Amino acid sequence: MTATLPMLWIATLIAGSLLLAGGLAAERLRQRRRGRDAVLRAKYLHILTVALLSERRTPPRFPLLDRPGARAILVETLVETIRATYGPDDELVRRIVAEYGLDRWLLQRIRRSGGYRRARYLAQLAHLPVAPEIAFRVAGHISSRNRYVRFYALLARITADPAEALHAIASYPTPFTATETAEILSVLRRGMLPIAYVPLLESPVENLRRLGVAIVRQFGIEEAEMQLLRIVDTDPSPELAFEALDTLRAMQLPLCRREIAGRIARLDPSLRKTLLRRMAAGGYAPHVLQRLFGAHERPYYEALVQSYKCTLACR
Amino acid sequence: MRQKKSKRLPSGMVLGGGRQPMLPAPKRMNRILIVSDEEFLRDLMRFSLADLPVEIRCAAGADEMRRCCRRGLFDLVIVLHAAPFLCGGDPVRELRPAGLRRPVFYVVTWQQSEHTVLSLLECGVDQYLTFPLSLRRLRAKVAAEIARRS
Repeated sequence: MTATLPMLWIATLIAGSLLLAGGLAAERLRQRRRGRDAVLRAKYLHILTVALLSERRTPPRFPLLDRPGARAILVETLVETIRATYGPDDELVRRIVAEYGLDRWLLQRIRRSGGYRRARYLAQLAHLPVAPEIAFRVAGHISSRNRYVRFYALLARITADPAEALHAIASYPTPFTATETAEILSVLRRGMLPIAYVPLLESPVENLRRLGVAIVRQFGIEEAEMQLLRIVDTDPSPELAFEALDTLRAMQLPLCRREIAGRIARLDPSLRKTLLRRMAAGGYAPHVLQRLFGAHERPYYEALVQSYKCTLACR
Repeated sequence: MRQKKSKRLPSGMVLGGGRQPMLPAPKRMNRILIVSDEEFLRDLMRFSLADLPVEIRCAAGADEMRRCCRRGLFDLVIVLHAAPFLCGGDPVRELRPAGLRRPVFYVVTWQQSEHTVLSLLECGVDQYLTFPLSLRRLRAKVAAEIARRS
C-alpha cells in the first residue's frame, strides 16, 4: 500500500505533464497555421489587387493552392475584395472562379456541411460571379429550416440568375428582416438587380413591397411619395407601414396628412416613440409633432426638440 | 594645420573635407498613413497604392494613428472607419500642425447617412468616400493629391 500511493502520484503527474505538453504543442501548431494563413492571405490579396488594377485578361497564378485551407483563403480573399470594391474586372474574377474551380468547391462544401457553416458558404457563393446554372443547384436550400441557410440560398440564387430574381423573392416564404433587405440592396447596388421601384411598391407580395420601400429610401426617390402614402394608409403589415413612414421622414417630406395621422394613431407604442424620436432629430417643427402625436407624448417630444436644437445651436 | 584630404568622385561630387558644392536637397518622399482596425482593408489599400512613388505606413486604430502622426509628418491620412471622428475627439485639428494644410484626411466608411457625412466634413475631413469603392478611382485621387502637394 505504501509503495502503490507514490507510484499512483507519479503516474498522475506524468499523465498530467503529457496532457499539458500535448495541449501546448497543439496550440503552437494552431498558431503556426494561423500565421501561415495570414501570410498566404496577404500574398493572394497582393496578386489579386495587382491583377485587378492591371489590364490583364488571363487569371493570375495563385501559389500553394494544394495546401489544406488554401482554397478557402482564396475564396475569402475574393469575396472580401468584391464586397469592398466596385468596378473590379468582373470578367477576370469570373475567369479566376472558373479556372480554380471555386464554384464547384463551394458547392461541395455546401453539400457536406450544415447549419451556420452551410449558410456561410452560401453567402460566399452569392458574392462570386458564377454561371446561371448554379441557381438550380442551390434552390433546394431555400426550403431549409435554418433561416440563414434559407436566405443565403435565395441570395445565391438571385445573384447567379438575376433574370429570375423577382420570381425567386416573390416565392420566398419568410418576410425579410432589415438586415436581409440591406443585403439584397447591396447586391442591387453592384448592378446585379433591376431598380424598377414602381412595380415593387405596387406588388401584392410583402417582400417585394419591402424591397421597393428600401430602394426608394436608399436612392431618395421623392416621386414615389404617392405609393408610400398608399402603403402607410392601407398596408396590412404594421412594420412595412412604419418603414414607409420612416422613409417619408428620411426624405424630409411633409407628414401633415390625414392618412399618416391615422396610421400613427394605430401604431404600436414602441414604434410611435421611435418615429417621434427620429422626427425630432430630423428637425420637424413642434406643431407638426403636436398634430400627429397625442397630448400625453407632448413633454417627451418637447424635451427632444429642445435638446436637439441645443445641440445644433451650441456647436 | 593640415587640411583633411578630400576624395573626388568621377561625377564631380566631393566626399569628406573641404567645402562641398551646393547640391539640390534630396526630394522628400510623400508619406501616406492608412488607418483601419481591419487588416484586410489595410492591406487592400496598401497594395492598391503600392505602385505610387510614396512611403506607406499602416496603423491599426485611432491611438496608433495619433502616435504615428506625432512621430512624423504625413501628407495624406486615409482612415477606413468613422469612429475616431465620432467619439468626441477632433483628430484633424489635433494632428494637423497649425498653419499647415497637411496631412490631408480621406475617410472611407460604409456609412452613407447625410448626417454622418456632414459631421465628418465639418470636422475638417477633406474627402469622404464610401464602400464599396473603386480602387482605380482611389489610386487616381491619391496620385492627383500627391502631384498637387509636390
